[in-house]
Order: sequence, then C-alpha cells, then structure tokens
Amino acid sequence: MDITNSLDISQEEIEPFLDETTALDQQRRSQLRIIFDRFVRNKVAIVGACFLIFMVVLCFLGPLVTGHNQPDVTHPLDSLKPPSAAYPLGTDLIGHDQFARVMYGGRLSLLVGLGSMLVAVFFGVTLGAFAGFYGGLIDNILMRVTDIALAVPAYLLLFLLSIAYSDGSPLSIILLISVLSWTYTARLVRGEFLALREREYVLAARTIGARGLRLMFRHILPNAAGPIIVNATLLIGANIIFESVLSYFGFGLQPPAASWGNMVADGKGLLDVAPWMVIAPGLLIFLTVLSSNLVGDGLRDALDPRMTER
Amino acid sequence: MGRYIIRRLLQTIPLLLLLSIFFFVLIHALPGGPERVLQNPHLGAAGQAALRARFGLDQPLPIQYVRWVGNMLVGDFGNSFADNQPVAAVLQQRFPNTVELFSVALLLALVLAVFLGLVSGVRQNSLTDYTLTVVSYFGIAMPAFLLGLFLQDLFGVQLHWLPTSGTETLGMNFDAFNSFYDHFLHLLLPMVTLSILFIAGWSRYMRSSTIDVVKQDYMRTAQAKGVSPTAMLLRHALRNAIIPLITIVALDFGQIAGGATITEGIFAWPGMGSLFLDSLDKRDYPVLLAILLISAVFVITFNIIADILYAVVDPRIRYS
Repeated sequence: MDITNSLDISQEEIEPFLDETTALDQQRRSQLRIIFDRFVRNKVAIVGACFLIFMVVLCFLGPLVTGHNQPDVTHPLDSLKPPSAAYPLGTDLIGHDQFARVMYGGRLSLLVGLGSMLVAVFFGVTLGAFAGFYGGLIDNILMRVTDIALAVPAYLLLFLLSIAYSDGSPLSIILLISVLSWTYTARLVRGEFLALREREYVLAARTIGARGLRLMFRHILPNAAGPIIVNATLLIGANIIFESVLSYFGFGLQPPAASWGNMVADGKGLLDVAPWMVIAPGLLIFLTVLSSNLVGDGLRDALDPRMTER
Repeated sequence: MGRYIIRRLLQTIPLLLLLSIFFFVLIHALPGGPERVLQNPHLGAAGQAALRARFGLDQPLPIQYVRWVGNMLVGDFGNSFADNQPVAAVLQQRFPNTVELFSVALLLALVLAVFLGLVSGVRQNSLTDYTLTVVSYFGIAMPAFLLGLFLQDLFGVQLHWLPTSGTETLGMNFDAFNSFYDHFLHLLLPMVTLSILFIAGWSRYMRSSTIDVVKQDYMRTAQAKGVSPTAMLLRHALRNAIIPLITIVALDFGQIAGGATITEGIFAWPGMGSLFLDSLDKRDYPVLLAILLISAVFVITFNIIADILYAVVDPRIRYS
C-alpha cells in the first residue's frame, strides 16, 4: 500500500521532466535522419559515395572545365603518346585524346548503369508489388517468367539479345540490361509484400477504407523501401559491369562512341606498348563498381542495424 | 521426400517447354540468319532456296519447332550449319573442357572461401578478416575480362611464366607427365580468373554463417569440456557453418554450361562458352539452341539438387 503510493507520486514527479532527458531527445529525430546519421558514420561508404559524386561531376562537367572536349577528333601525329601535360591520359593508336574519351565514355557507362537500374527497379517494383499483394494469376505468371530468366546463364542471354535487338545505341543497351536485371528486384519486392500485407498496420489501414493501389504504394511500399534501395544501389555497379562486358566483346556501344568497356577492348592488344589505354578505363570501371558496392553495403547497414555485426 | 522430388521433376516439364519455345523464337529473331554462313556468292537464288530447304528453314516456324523438339527427344540435336557436324559430337568435344575448368575453379574457390570465411568469422577484425573484406570487394568490383587481361599480360607476356591461351602447347610431343604438366599450366590463369568471383561471394557467406555458429551454446559446451581450439573450429564450427554454403555452391555449379563464357572467351579455352560466342557469330542455330537448352537443364537440375541437399544436410528441414 505504502509502496504503490510512493510509486504513483514519483511517477507524477518525474514525468514532467521526461522530455528533457537526452534519451527522448534522440527519438525526436525522424526515421530518415536516424538512417542518414548511421550512414554518415560509416566512413568507407562515405568514401564510396564521394567517389561516385566525383565521377559524375568529372564526366559531365570535366570536359567543359578542362577543355578536353573532343573525344572523336584524331591526332594522327600524336599516336600512342604516353600521358603528358597535353594528353593527361595519353593517346591511342590513331591519336584520340584518352582523357576526353574516358570522360565521355564515363558518361555513357554511368548513364547505362543508372538508366538500366531505374528501368529495372521500376518494372521490378511494379510487378513484384502486384504479384505479392494480389497473388493468384499475376503471381503465377510473374514467377514463371522469373523462373525462365533465372534458368539461363545471364551472359548467354545478354549476348544473344544484344545481337537480336540492340542497335548499339545507349538506349537499347539500357533496355537490354534492364530486361536481365529486373527479375531479382521483382522477387525481392514480391517477398517483402507477401510478408508485409499480413501485418496489423495494413489491416488497420484497410479498416479505415484504404484499398488497392493506396494500400500497396502508400502503406506497404515505404516499409519495403530499405531492401529495394540497397538492391538498386548494387544494381548500378552490376549493370556497369554488364555494359563493359558487352562492349568488351563487341556487342555493346559501337565505336566511335566510347565507353569504358570498349576502350579496354581497344587497348587490349597494345597493353605492352600503351598500358595507359587499358589502365585508365579499367581502373575507373573497378573504382566505380567498388564505390557502388560500398555505398550499397553502407545503406544496408544503415537501414538494418541488425546486419552491422555480420 | 521421394514425392517432393517427383513433384519438382514434374514441374520442370512445363518450364522446359516454355524455355524451348522462348529460345527457339529468340534464335530465329536473330538478324542475318544462317544465310550469313551458308551463303556462297556464286550461289544463285535457286541454290539458296535449295540450301534453306535442306536445313528445313523454308518451313513455317511452328513446324520447324515441332520437328526440332521431336528430334531432340530421340537425342538428335541436328547438324551444325557451320561444318555440318552433328551438334551432339561438337558438344561432346567441348563440354569436358568446360567441366574441367569449372570444376577446378569452383574447387579452388571453395577451399579458399571456406578457409577465409571460417577464420575471419571466428576472429572478426583480424588481419584475415580485413584480407577477406579486401578480396571480396575486389572480386565483386573487378570484371573478369579485366582481371584476365592483366593476368595474361603479367604472367604470360611480361614474366613468360604461363601460357595465355588454349589448353596445350601446339606442336610439342610430350610424354604423359609433361603433357599433363603442360595442360596444368594452361589451366592456371583461367582457373584463377574464374574463381575470384566465387571466392568473393562464398567467403562472405561462410563468414556470416560462422559468426552465427560460434555464438551457439554447444560451442561454449565444447569449450567448457576442454576441446582444443583447432578441434572446435574444425569439428564443431566448420561442420555446421558450411551447411548454408553447400546449397549456394550447388546452385552456382548449375551455371556450369554457360557460366564460364567470359573466361573462356578471354583465354580461348575451347569449352561451351567460347563455342557459344563462335556460333553466335556464325548464326549457327542448332548449336546455339543446344547450348542454351543444356545450360538451362543444368541450372534447373542443380536448383533441385540444392533444395534436396538443404534437407539432407539439415535434418530440421522437411519437405512434404
């Protein structure tokens, strides 16, 4: 009796001060803010993010600032020149300014990586959401289509499709690569939707009258956003590799248009005479893909703190 | 379990049917068509029509498809357009090379991945752990064609240690041992190139399952009753941590028929992948179709094997 009394009193006394404690201060941060803070603390991921931003700035603004803006002009007298002040990354056999080509090629590589990710995520999320939410026929069709896509080694299909349907333009390559990469996203989203649609908050939303598209995209999708964002980030890197492999084997962007992949292919026979022809674009592919993976893993840790100890 | 396997096998029949239609339509959509190889400038229109008729290409697509599937069911994949050899014979030449390359590369990857993953899972933030992180990021971000190119240049062209392409030194008359040794040297570079990506993925997997396992109570029990650290690692941790990896390895092994295409292309390794690239150039429909279908059969089969293995190694999982 005595004890409960004193407890009641103490609670009343403490409560007015509760919101001034630091622990509760932290709860005032928005979910986004918490995730952002966690991401920023991950130094490796920040390095990756900075490098990606740097690459975008270099490729899209670099030609204007540095004056190396003529990737297609040949300088036959300056054939196979090593890196110098005039040509910071040297020249190739017919005297292309490799620095300019690396930047213009980077535009295409980044564009293809980003573009095909967006297309793949758009279709993957839409189809995965419908299949996971409604189930039934849509789900069955989607699962069979992804079964087909998973049953063929990706590169065989990629080479075949590029011969059949690609005209070597960036747009056709973007569509081609997204055809191959949307299936994983679709399965991922489907799984998330299957699990989330049974949750109480979805039921609650249903009881106050939300249904169909509103439930899917207003209530369920935001809660599935984490894995989708991580997947999207990793897709950028994977798709840049896809593009470079295509271009390397001559199925991708056609010369004279430069991409990092076909620059490596151009230089492979001259590796001993002009190693800079391979090293510069090769290193950029490597570092860009590496950065996108670092950012993706950083985002995963930030979005799902249980994963950090892994 | 038996019923489960039978059900899975039955499910593959419609899938294979769908796949065969998909492949057939896709291949026949290739621009250029087989005339690219068959065409002889001296051949008139009548001769060309006769050639098309000889390969049955003048028939409507559905009829060609039915004929193709019917022949395949009795083991006849048709003849290659390029050299008129039976496709089955061509594949028999190439497939063993791919199996060899893929198997040794995956074996190397498995050994290294298990070692790296186990050690870095037990000792997080140790030197091995950092090595693993670097290796796995390197493996994921390094395109195979680039790695292959650099390895070729370094060990083949600069150092003259290793051959850069093919499976054997031409024009040499080796005795049995030297010919084996020569073949082994040719295998080294493609093997390493192919294994990097698998090492990267598998070792991360092994690491996280090791971290889960070492936290378990039976590990503490083992330690309490005085089991030596090595025995704990090998007999208790390894055996349980490797379970999830086994299914992943089985899944990846299903990629065998087409999964080494890039590596084979770089090192001119005469396997299924380089055959595919050649045949694509020649629009050799029967060969392309056979490779696609065989690779799909392998992927599907190993998918089922992976699911079964999962239940075999982990008795808690039951299928009905």
